[in-house]
Amino acid sequence: MNLSKVFTKAIITSPERQLEADADFSVVKQVQAGDVAAFDRLILKYRERLYGVVYNLTANREDASDLTQDAFIKAFQSINRFQGHCSFFTWLYRIAVNTTLSHLRKNRLRTFFSLEKLHEDGTNAQILEQLTDKRGADRDTYLRELQEKLNEALQKLSIQHRTVITLFEIDGLSHSEIAEVMGCSEGTVRSRLHYAKQFLQGEMSKYLGS
Amino acid sequence: MSDSNHSSKVTIEDLLHLKRAERPAADFWTDFERELRQKQLAALLEKRPWWQDLPQLFARRAYLPVGATAILAFTLVSVKYSTLPAPVARMDGAAEASHSVAVIHSNESLAARAATAPASSPLVNRREAPAVEAGEHTLVRSGDSPAFTKTDEHTPVVAATVSAETPSARSIAANFARMEQSEPELFNAVLGSRLSSRARVQPAAGPVLELASLSNNASRRSRLLARYDEHAPSPELTAPEPVRERLSRRLGDAEAGERFNRIGLKGDQDSLGLTLRL
Repeated sequence: MNLSKVFTKAIITSPERQLEADADFSVVKQVQAGDVAAFDRLILKYRERLYGVVYNLTANREDASDLTQDAFIKAFQSINRFQGHCSFFTWLYRIAVNTTLSHLRKNRLRTFFSLEKLHEDGTNAQILEQLTDKRGADRDTYLRELQEKLNEALQKLSIQHRTVITLFEIDGLSHSEIAEVMGCSEGTVRSRLHYAKQFLQGEMSKYLGS
Repeated sequence: MSDSNHSSKVTIEDLLHLKRAERPAADFWTDFERELRQKQLAALLEKRPWWQDLPQLFARRAYLPVGATAILAFTLVSVKYSTLPAPVARMDGAAEASHSVAVIHSNESLAARAATAPASSPLVNRREAPAVEAGEHTLVRSGDSPAFTKTDEHTPVVAATVSAETPSARSIAANFARMEQSEPELFNAVLGSRLSSRARVQPAAGPVLELASLSNNASRRSRLLARYDEHAPSPELTAPEPVRERLSRRLGDAEAGERFNRIGLKGDQDSLGLTLRL
């Protein structure tokens, strides 16, 4: 990463992200100094987010579990190379995304869904209420069908477009962070995001209002 | 109808946000952690191939100029010293280095030493005479092997190189010159003006040369005496009968010849008598 990118990132990142990055970097320094157990704190902190990214890219929980573990192992093996030019979170995401993309390219023809159960909580209850007013078994079937259709539509996207829309809409990364993770410009990120949304709207039109 | 009313408010972003609710159960993380621990241990025990460490090695750019400078300096120094002549390599072998070496620099001192020694003296090494007369610098070693006393065409170069590059010789000569300039009276009183400073630098060459020739001659003489003792005629003890008779007859002839010479010197009568005896 060149100096201009680091400077740009230092300007655009929020104070909370900067504090989080500093805290992560202190833990990374402990690991680099030989405190291997300190890496467990980083695993506990990021395993769910990392797993979520990989799962939404693969739509397979077993593959997602293995790939997330592989990403953590790669990060642990290369922890001495991390020099703090970017945040540990971004660095870890880049490893996970690259590992997943490599896996998806190798298994391009194999598509097998193994989906997690949809947990209903306060954040998504309102959306689910808007989607259906059914109760009991019918509601569960409807939600299951919606979940499968959505994952199917996502898998129809190319790997790059899928990655962009997953990182932006599901994981909440900014355009610049996605560009840093994927190694492309922010304009490319916006373009891919726009195309992916249009494609998904066409695929999910049955469940969306016209 | 009611379904379409509800779904009309839902966007694609809302549907994608539902994906955040797809989370694994709590027991999933127990298995995840156990498997990750096993993989981590396996990765710790696994030996990484050497080419995976190359990027890390080249990433340390700060060390590259230092290393390159060190390699360059070492190469320059090694090239510089490898081009210098090696005097030891011109000699006959490293194993012969135990022999004492004396370098003769001054033709005058050699010629004077050769002139003062008598021609029949055993101290004179006759094999060195041509080299001395020719005025060559000769490398002389003590020892019985003729190879050490043989003078070849490379020897003067070696001797000159050794004498010119001896640090002790240079320092002694410099000290003598400095002393001669600073205190000439003391210099003349103590050392006299018979020898030049160049000759005084090598005082060990003359005695060593004499010792070398003496040891050569002594060993040669002892060899010849031993050979003579081995082949000395002893007709009384070892020779067979016909040989003994032949030897005694020859001795008798020699004795008669001797008498003949002696008598012939005295007069004709005795020579007549001698003729009668034969």
